[in-house]
Amino acid sequence: MPKHYRPAGKKKEGNAARYMTRSQAVKYLQVSLSVFRRLCIFKGVFPRDPKKKVKGTHQTYYHVKDILFLKHEPLLDKFREMHAYEKKVKKAVSKKNKDLAERLLTRKPTYTLDMLIRERYPKFIDALRDLDDCLTMVHLFAALPAIERENIQAERIHNCRGLSLEWQAYISRTHKLRKAFISVKGIYYQAEVEGQKVTWLTPHALQQVMPQDVDYKIMLTFLEFYETLLGFVNLRLYHSIKLKYPPILDPRLKALAADLYALTRYVDAKDRTIGANNEESELRLAQLQDQLPANEPGALMHLVENVADDNEEDEETRACKTLFQNKTFFLGREVPRESLLFVITAFGGVVSWEGDGAPFEESNQDINYQIVDRPTQSHRFISRDYVQPQWVFDCINARIILPTGEYMVGKVLPPHLSPFVDNEAEGYVPEYAETIKRLQAAARKEILPMPGGEQDDLENAQNLLAEGIIDRTKAKEAAERKQKMAVHEKQYHQELKKEMQGMQYTSDPNIDEIKNNGEENTDDMSSQQLVKDDENMTMVSMSRKKRRLYEAMKISQGRKKANVETLETRKKNIQKSKKTSSN
Amino acid sequence: MSVSQVGPRNTIGDVPLEWYKDEEHIGYDVAGKKIKKKERLDKLDSFLARTDDANSWRKIIDDIEDEEVELTKEETKLIRRMLKGKAPHADFDPHAPYVDWFAWDGAKHPLSNAPEPKRRFIPSKWEAKKVVKYIRAIRKGLIKFDKPKEEPRFYNLWGDEHDKSGHGLSYIPAPKPKLPGHDESYNPSLEYIPTQEEISAYQLMFEEDQPKFIPKRFASLRSVPAYEKSVRESFDRCLDLYLCPRARKKRINIDPESLKPKLPSRKDLKPYPTTCYLEYKGHKGPVASICTDPSGQHIASGSHDGTVRIWEVETGRCIKIWELGEPVQHVAWNPLPELPILAVSMGQDVLVLNTGLEKEENKKIEDLLRVETLSVPDESGCAGSSVSWSQYDKYEGIRIKHFKTVSSVEWHRKGDYFSSVMPADILLFFGSYFSVLIHLLSKKITQRLPYKLHGLPVCSTFHPTRSIFFVATKKNVRVYDLLKKKSMKKLEAGVREISSISIHPGGDNVIVGSKDGKLCWFDMDLSSKPYKILNSHPKDITNVAFHRSYPLFASSSDDCTAYVFHGMVYSDLNQNPLIVPLEILHGHTSVNGRGVLDCKFHPRQPWLFTAGADSVIKLFCH
Repeated sequence: MPKHYRPAGKKKEGNAARYMTRSQAVKYLQVSLSVFRRLCIFKGVFPRDPKKKVKGTHQTYYHVKDILFLKHEPLLDKFREMHAYEKKVKKAVSKKNKDLAERLLTRKPTYTLDMLIRERYPKFIDALRDLDDCLTMVHLFAALPAIERENIQAERIHNCRGLSLEWQAYISRTHKLRKAFISVKGIYYQAEVEGQKVTWLTPHALQQVMPQDVDYKIMLTFLEFYETLLGFVNLRLYHSIKLKYPPILDPRLKALAADLYALTRYVDAKDRTIGANNEESELRLAQLQDQLPANEPGALMHLVENVADDNEEDEETRACKTLFQNKTFFLGREVPRESLLFVITAFGGVVSWEGDGAPFEESNQDINYQIVDRPTQSHRFISRDYVQPQWVFDCINARIILPTGEYMVGKVLPPHLSPFVDNEAEGYVPEYAETIKRLQAAARKEILPMPGGEQDDLENAQNLLAEGIIDRTKAKEAAERKQKMAVHEKQYHQELKKEMQGMQYTSDPNIDEIKNNGEENTDDMSSQQLVKDDENMTMVSMSRKKRRLYEAMKISQGRKKANVETLETRKKNIQKSKKTSSN
Repeated sequence: MSVSQVGPRNTIGDVPLEWYKDEEHIGYDVAGKKIKKKERLDKLDSFLARTDDANSWRKIIDDIEDEEVELTKEETKLIRRMLKGKAPHADFDPHAPYVDWFAWDGAKHPLSNAPEPKRRFIPSKWEAKKVVKYIRAIRKGLIKFDKPKEEPRFYNLWGDEHDKSGHGLSYIPAPKPKLPGHDESYNPSLEYIPTQEEISAYQLMFEEDQPKFIPKRFASLRSVPAYEKSVRESFDRCLDLYLCPRARKKRINIDPESLKPKLPSRKDLKPYPTTCYLEYKGHKGPVASICTDPSGQHIASGSHDGTVRIWEVETGRCIKIWELGEPVQHVAWNPLPELPILAVSMGQDVLVLNTGLEKEENKKIEDLLRVETLSVPDESGCAGSSVSWSQYDKYEGIRIKHFKTVSSVEWHRKGDYFSSVMPADILLFFGSYFSVLIHLLSKKITQRLPYKLHGLPVCSTFHPTRSIFFVATKKNVRVYDLLKKKSMKKLEAGVREISSISIHPGGDNVIVGSKDGKLCWFDMDLSSKPYKILNSHPKDITNVAFHRSYPLFASSSDDCTAYVFHGMVYSDLNQNPLIVPLEILHGHTSVNGRGVLDCKFHPRQPWLFTAGADSVIKLFCH
C-alpha cells in the first residue's frame, strides 16, 4: 500500500510495507488479472524477491513502487476505456440496436506503445541491449502459420516477416554480422550494432510445431511490444545509413518471395544514388576549390569528412566486409536460401540462387562457389567449388576462407563448432577447433610452433595450410606427446610441492626411517595423506562462511572437470573403436 | 359436388355438438329424420388410408355433416394466404391509391375555426440545441468530415537523447538467454554425443536432473528437422521474463584458493611435534590416560586392562607396573618434583600411590601416605559420609573410596589438594553438591564444593597460578574462586557435549574440546563466548592439552588423529591470540570405534604423548 492509504495498524516500513502480493496489486489497481498481466508485460514490471516473504513463500511479490508506477500509467485508463467500450458494443448488439453498434464500431479506442518504449529504453543503446528476445520472438513468429483459433493473424505474421527482413537487410548492408551458428534449434546469429552484441535465433525454415498447451495470448502480448520496438529500432538504423523507412520494395520480387533480396537491392540502390549525389557535389566542390585559395578551411573540412567516413568502420567490420569480397556464390535449390543470402552478403559476397528472380544464372562463369546440399552433383563446372552450406558458416566464424576439401559435396563434414564457446575457459578444446586455429595462424602468415618441431621451414603460408589438414595423424601424435609432457610436468610440480611441505621429513632422515618402519606406509600413501592433511588444516582455520563458499566452489569446479572428463573418455573410446574397426 | 351448393343436410343449427355426444345420430335432415353417425376408422386404419392416398393431406372431416371433405386447389390457396395474414383473395389490393372523395375546395366554412398555434411560427428550440452541439463538435474537431490522414507508424523516437533514465526504481535487466555450446550444433564432434548406455541412464534419473537437451548428429543440413520445442521454449522465456522474480546476485569469480587465510609459515613456528619417535608398548587394553612426571623423565599411564605403568621417556622402558585389577580411568602425577606420587582413579576408588622414584624423601612420602586406621573423617567436611580414606593394602598408598565411579583426578599446583569428579547421572539432588570433591592429602580431609552445580560435571581443573577452580559440565564451563567461595564466571561453549578442558599456563585462556569434534578457544578477558571455534575433528575430541612453556596446544580425537596447533597469546591485551594449525599426527589405529584417548605435552620439550585405544603410547617429537 502506498503510504497515504496505509490503514491503521498496518506496517510503515520493512518488507511488509515495501512489497505486495499479486492479488493485492490486482485489487489495488482494480483491474482484471489479464489486464494486469498485459500491463506488466508492456511496462516491463517483474516480481521481486523480498528477503522476508510476509504473506508466505508461495506468493509472487511486487514492489509497491512498481505497482504505483503501473497505477499512473495512461495505458491503464485506456484499457479501462476499452473494457467499457466492449461492454457498450455488447449491450447494443444484444439489444438489437444495430445503428448504435455500427456507430460504436467505427470509434474503437486504440492505444500505442511508443511512449512506453521511450520510457523503458531512454536511450537507443538501451533498446539495442535488450533486443535479443525481441529479435528471436519476431523471427519465430515470422516462421509460424497464422491460426485463427489462437488469434494469430496473418497480418501480424507478415508484419513480423517484414520487420525481421528489414533488420537482416540492415545488418548485411552494414556488415555488422559477426558470428553464425547452425544448431538443432535453428540458426543463431550474432551482430555487433553500436558496440552492443545482439544475438538472435531464427528457426529452421520448416513447418513449425504448434503445441496446444501454450498460452498464445501471452506470447502475442509480448510480440505486440516487440513489433513496436523493432519498428522503431529499424527506423533509427535505416535513418542512420540515410535510408527511408519503411522501405518500398519491388513488387515483382516480393511476389516471388525474394523479400530479402528485394530489400538488399533497395538498400544498395539508395546507396548508389547517394553516392552519385556525393560525386556530383564533389565535382562542384572541386570547381569551387579552384576558385578559392588553397588553404581555405572548406577543403580541409571535406578531407576530414572523408577520413571520418572511413574511420566509422572499425577493423572488425572491415575484416568482415572483405571476407567474401570478389567471391560469387550460387545457391542450390535445396539449401536454406534466405539464411545464406543474408550471411554471404553480410560478408561481402555476391549471391544468386536457383529459382525465379535470381540476378544471374547457374551457367554464369564468374561463380566461384556453388553451395549444394545433395548427396551427389551430376553436372559440374570445373571453374567452381561445390561445397556444402556448413562451409560458409565455418568460414565466417573462423574469419578465413577455409580449404574446401573437406566440405565438398557428398563428403562427411567436419564437426560444426559453436563460435560462442570459450574453449580455454571450458577446459576442453575440440580437435577441429585446433585445426582451425592453425589455419588461422597460417592465414595470418605467422608460423605457429608446429607439433613435433621437426617440421621444415615453412615460409609459404599455403603450404602450411595444406599441411595443417593433411598431417592430421602427425598432429594427433604431437598432441599426445604434448599431453604426456604436461603430465610429467604436473607430476614434477606435485613432487616439488610435496617436498616443500614435507621439509621436516627430509631434514631428519633417521626419524623419517623410523616413522616409515613404524607405520609401514608406502611413500605414495603418505604423500596423499599429506596433501589431505594440508587441505584439512587450512579448512580448520577458515571461518564457516568462507569454508562453505570454498566447498561450493570446489563442487562447481568438480562438476566442470567431470564434464570435461566424460568428453575425453568418450573421445578415447571412439578412437579405440575406430582403431579396432580399422584393424 | 360441393356441400355449399346443395346447402347443409343437417338441420341442428348452431348448437354445440357436445349435446349429441352420447346419441347415435348427429342431427336431422330436412325431412326430420335422424341422421345416423357414421362408423369412424380407428387410428391404424386411418393411418394406412393416409399413406395409401396421395391426396389425404387435402381431406378434412366436417364434424357437423359427419363426412370427409376433400379441399380443392383454390381452397388450399385461400387457406395459405389467410395463414400468411394476407387478404384471402389474390386479386384484392390492400394498397390501392387512395381516392379522396371529399371536396376540400370551394367549401364555404373551414372544418376548424381554431387560430394557427404559435409554435408553428417559431423555430424549434431542440433543433437549435442539436445544431449548436454539432457546430461545437465540428469546431472542437470531434466530428471530422474527411478521413484522417495516414500518419507514419514509426518516427525517430530517440531524436533528442537526454539523460532521463527509467522510473527511479532499480531496474534489473533480465539475464540473456544462454548461448549455445558445441553440443547444440547440428553436427557436433562425436565426443559430444552421449552413448546409448548414457541415454538410457538418463531415463533412470529424476526428471529435474535429466539433461534438457540431448545432442544429436545430422549428416547434412537438409536432414535437420524443425525443432519441435521452439515455440515452447519461446513461451517459457516469455514466462520467465514476466513471472520470475529478479534479484541481483553477486557472483564471485575468484580462485577458491584465494579464500584460504594467510597464515604465517609453519616453518617459522617450529619446533612442534611432527613425527612419531617412540612407541611405548606393553599395555593389554586401551590406554585411557597418561601423565608426565613434572621433571619430564617419566610418564605414567593407566589402562583399561587394570594396570598402571611408569615408563622412562627417553628409552621407552617400563619401570613399574601396578596391577590394580580394575579399569583405570585417569592418572595424575603430583606437580611437585620432590613428591613423586600418583593419583589414580579406578572404578569408585581414587588411589594415591607412591612411585618410589625419589629415594631420599621416601620416608616423608611414606608418612604422608599413612592413614590412621579407623580414622573417622572430619564431619565438618560435609562429604564425610560419602568418602572414606583408608590404607591401600596391595601397594603402598591410600585408597579413597567414593560412592560413585570417579572419572578424573586433578592436582592443585601446590600438590596438596586434588579434585575428583563423579559424573554419574543418577546422583540427582545430591549430585549437584557431591559430584565434585576436593581432597586435602596432608590432612586426609575431603570437601565438597560449597555451591550447587547446574548440569553434570565432566572434568575439572585448577588454575595454574591463582586459586581458581574450573568445572566443565556438559554444556558450559563454570569458574569458581576458591578463596572467596563464589562463582566467578560461566563460559558458554555452545557445543553439544564438552569432553575435556585445558588452561593456558598464562591462565587467561581456556580451550575446551567437545564430543562433536569442535575445539573452542576462550579468552576469559574478552567474553564468555568462544573467541574461536575450530571445527577440526570429524569425531569426538577426547582430550585437549596446552604446553607449559611452548605456544602449543593439541587435541586428540577418536578419529585416530591428534592435531597440533600453534596458540600464541600476546601480553598486549589488544592483540588477539594467534591460532595456526600446524600438524595432524597419524599413527594410531581404531579399536572399537575409539582412536586416541589422551594426549599430553612433555613439560619441557615440544613433544607430544598420545595414548591410543590400540594400547600403544606414542611420543611425537619435532
